Amino acid sequence: MRDKILILLGGVAFALLFKDLLAMKGFTESNQGAIFKIIFFHVPMAITALTCALVAFFASVTFLITKNFKFDALAVAVTEVGLAFLAGNLITGSIWGRIIWGIWWTWDARLTSALVCWLLYAGYLMLRRAIEEPTQRATFAAVFSIFAFIDVPIVIFSIKWWRTQHPQPVFWNGGSFPAEWYPTFGWQMLAIMLLAVVFTAVRLRQEEFQREIDSLRRMAHAL
Amino acid sequence: MFALLLQSSDDVVREIARLQRNYEFLSYGLVVAWLILVVYVLMMVGRERKLKREIAGLKAMLEERK
Repeated sequence: MRDKILILLGGVAFALLFKDLLAMKGFTESNQGAIFKIIFFHVPMAITALTCALVAFFASVTFLITKNFKFDALAVAVTEVGLAFLAGNLITGSIWGRIIWGIWWTWDARLTSALVCWLLYAGYLMLRRAIEEPTQRATFAAVFSIFAFIDVPIVIFSIKWWRTQHPQPVFWNGGSFPAEWYPTFGWQMLAIMLLAVVFTAVRLRQEEFQREIDSLRRMAHAL
Repeated sequence: MFALLLQSSDDVVREIARLQRNYEFLSYGLVVAWLILVVYVLMMVGRERKLKREIAGLKAMLEERK
């Protein structure tokens, strides 16, 4: 039953993404041209990735307080999913930069802090692989996740705190995002968030499988 | 006048090239975004199969030992 619901939700999310892809064909932007439409993936992927980081932060804090391994599983699941979306955000941004700025990458505050964020969360996953003992692994990983979260506000506010090459938000304060594009952007945001939820649920189940494997191994060892 | 016409046709060619490059890079971006999602789904499917196989193997081994 749970499998069917996850497949259904995943299918709905992919269908929404496909629908938006078709809707985007009709949009034209006079300043930047077609490449501006990359915003339909770039921004929702960033928001989703940073939301995942927020969830990982709260899950890690809760694990340290309660020592309940379900929160550790949630932290690792949501971190891995967030990492995938942040990778998508960085790559689509780089492709946009190649056309608009003429360069693939620049070491400005937003780009650098986002890359540092990706490296920190990749480090979190590597740290987990390096520690065998489950309680020690979960505790160290939770502390590391809380430390890594410090970078998230820096990513968000870097464009306010420093003069960056990265553009200011186009959605509010008289931003240039066309009003007729908002519904499609909203659907795109929903689709990517839904995908993140489905991916996290699948990863959570895999963590349950891993725990079952660990306990079966212990039983086999005891026999 | 003739030179002006030539210059404007050059501009048109340049503008068409710019638009084509724009679309080309947009398609790269969309392909990459979709690819990341699809590859991640495939990775998760592969991992799930591996975990289920491992559980089945361990259960069979425990049954044998009992």
